[in-house]
Amino acid sequence: MEKSSSSRGKKRERDEEIGTAAEEIDQFPSLEENLTFSDTLVAIRIMRAQFPHIDKITMQPFILRSQLYSSITDRTQVDRELESLRREKVLRIFKLNTGQDDHAIMFVDDYLKQIDLVMKRLEAKKPGSLVIFEWFKTHVIVARLEPSIDHQELCSLLSFGGEVKDEHVSLLINTGLLVSKTRQLIDPNMYWFAIPNIGSILKGLSQGRKELLSLLSRRKYKEMMMVSLEKKRLRLSPLDMRFHLRDLIGSGHLKTVQSPTGLVVRSKRRKP
Amino acid sequence: MSMWKKIGDRETGRLCTNRFANYVRSSRVSSLSLSNYKDIVSAHRGSVNSLQVDLTEGRYLLSGASDASAAVYDIQQATDFEGSGLVAKHRPLFVVDKRHEHGHKYAVSSAIWYPIDTGVFITGSYDHFINVWDTNTTQVAVNFKMPGKVYRTAMSSLSMSHMLIAAGTEDVQVRLCDIASGAFAHTLSGHRDGVMTVEWSTSSEWVLMTGGCDGAIRFWDIRRAGCYRVLDQSQSQLGRRPPLLQRATVNKASTSKSSSAGQSSSMKTRTPQRKIANGNVSKQFPISRLPAQAKGSMRQRLHPGLLSSQDRATAHYGAVTGLKVTEDGMYLLSAGSDSRLRLWDVESGFNTLVNFETVRLQTSKMIQLATTQDSSLVFVPCMTAVKAFDVWSGKTSLIFRGHYENVNCCWFSSQDQELYTGGNDRQILVWSPSKSFVEEGKDTRKGQVHSVDEDNWSD
Repeated sequence: MEKSSSSRGKKRERDEEIGTAAEEIDQFPSLEENLTFSDTLVAIRIMRAQFPHIDKITMQPFILRSQLYSSITDRTQVDRELESLRREKVLRIFKLNTGQDDHAIMFVDDYLKQIDLVMKRLEAKKPGSLVIFEWFKTHVIVARLEPSIDHQELCSLLSFGGEVKDEHVSLLINTGLLVSKTRQLIDPNMYWFAIPNIGSILKGLSQGRKELLSLLSRRKYKEMMMVSLEKKRLRLSPLDMRFHLRDLIGSGHLKTVQSPTGLVVRSKRRKP
Repeated sequence: MSMWKKIGDRETGRLCTNRFANYVRSSRVSSLSLSNYKDIVSAHRGSVNSLQVDLTEGRYLLSGASDASAAVYDIQQATDFEGSGLVAKHRPLFVVDKRHEHGHKYAVSSAIWYPIDTGVFITGSYDHFINVWDTNTTQVAVNFKMPGKVYRTAMSSLSMSHMLIAAGTEDVQVRLCDIASGAFAHTLSGHRDGVMTVEWSTSSEWVLMTGGCDGAIRFWDIRRAGCYRVLDQSQSQLGRRPPLLQRATVNKASTSKSSSAGQSSSMKTRTPQRKIANGNVSKQFPISRLPAQAKGSMRQRLHPGLLSSQDRATAHYGAVTGLKVTEDGMYLLSAGSDSRLRLWDVESGFNTLVNFETVRLQTSKMIQLATTQDSSLVFVPCMTAVKAFDVWSGKTSLIFRGHYENVNCCWFSSQDQELYTGGNDRQILVWSPSKSFVEEGKDTRKGQVHSVDEDNWSD
């Protein structure tokens, strides 16, 4: 189901030369060929399949919005398709706290699986407190599609399941499903939805971004071939290079330029 | 060549006049570049914060700067020529600054013309004053003291019955000042932080739109108390107008769950709606749009006009730094300190989800946006460049790089299709359509004759 709108004949030949070795490492197709897609849902599915496997943390795949912007040329189309997919309850959008306008997109099934993982872990430690998660899954997630929810509505939706106590809400916050909006002007009674167990990955995300940007800024001309950049590994981030590249290209920090030898990645910021 | 052909088509009736005019205008706009025949000599020693060309004749440019000065330039008639008559220099007709006895003491953040004629202009400044000046005598006629730094002033260009200046200040209330009486008319409360931008609607003389540092954009009808709409960025529509069916489903979905303070469905009228939440309806709040919960905290009985202050929907994740209503009055563009530019449908209040490719916008100061008359392009100051985006697809169509430092304001004069931009580098730059070779040849001969304008007389 892979569609690539920019395919170069030479690249294909070279790939065939590398031959069987490349086919074995089939989960790393060249980013250069798979940079752009034609449809948002296709792009999301493929990026979900390409989500890196992280050793110590079990994490369902998620995609950043900036990654979608780098893959599809028309950003308005991305926004609108995401909106309609969100309304159809196919996926959910979460606002992340790393940086200005970061959003993570996750399929609803994956999100439910992630909640189940959290529930299993909690069951081992503190049995009997799981009923609140069931209420959360069946009532809140289904009814509220926006990335945030306020306290009143949360309690009213949870009470469809049974009687809600404050400890239940604090349990939800402790496991990381809800984050209270700490910004001064926003009502302290409002919560952002969040993906549980994502904390270390987000830290890795911001550190990986910085590392990649500094890697390019240390070079003499602030640029590097995409092919060689892809092969590098980031020390500080559990996510792979391709994830970070798509993210930074989409958010505008990096720019890709066509050159006779292939795509070149250039650092865009002129000021520090 | 193609111009002659088009004129011929218009003559024979193959091309209708409006289309011809639009064609000429849009081809001129697409060739905008730093003008090589027109130059404005800025009299300011501080960054230029506000620019406006008067709405009656399109002849005088008013600018306000951070060194407490405001100046007026005649943009159609040059004061002198340079480069053997090829470059027209426009020096200011007059400058009012700190040395003036009633001049401002701190930065002038906003300078606007009185919409009816150019005899009066209004400046708002960080020294908490709004001054109304008489242009001919350059004296202050009336002044208003505000409780905080004035960020923006605006007057409605459509008003037939009122002469109110809407002022957005650091204070949470928007004040309306009346020039006729010299007093404050009333205040509009609802914002939770300073109000950075104020714009009157171009379709109704009573509707005011304000954007605050809390990220909310509110629509006010000044004849009523309270705002009638708060724009929420999560309420969106896909396309120029909401499809009829979809609107019905949005309303149904929101009435089936309990209403929250943050979710305001698209109701334009403020008829009290009874939202039944879980079958518990507290009899005490029949008009309340808030959920009446047995478990929820007790809410005070509020006047229906103040209910909107409970609505905490935000249009941007940061402060709203710029607002612009399109000339047809149907859409609103807003720029925020989260570096996003959003397009809103005024009628339904939804975000149209057009993604403008902005990477960074300046966050601490207000920016002034400009649109072309047919609302096809929007000019946005992005750091040191001004970018023109296509309003409907969000793609960058033109980039104007010329300023040495951040650009604060821009104004598009639809009469001559020229763009004026002012920035922190104290310069006002003119971007005009490139002149054709034929015209240039004529100008060199008539270089001297230009300075005598026989229409420039007065009794």
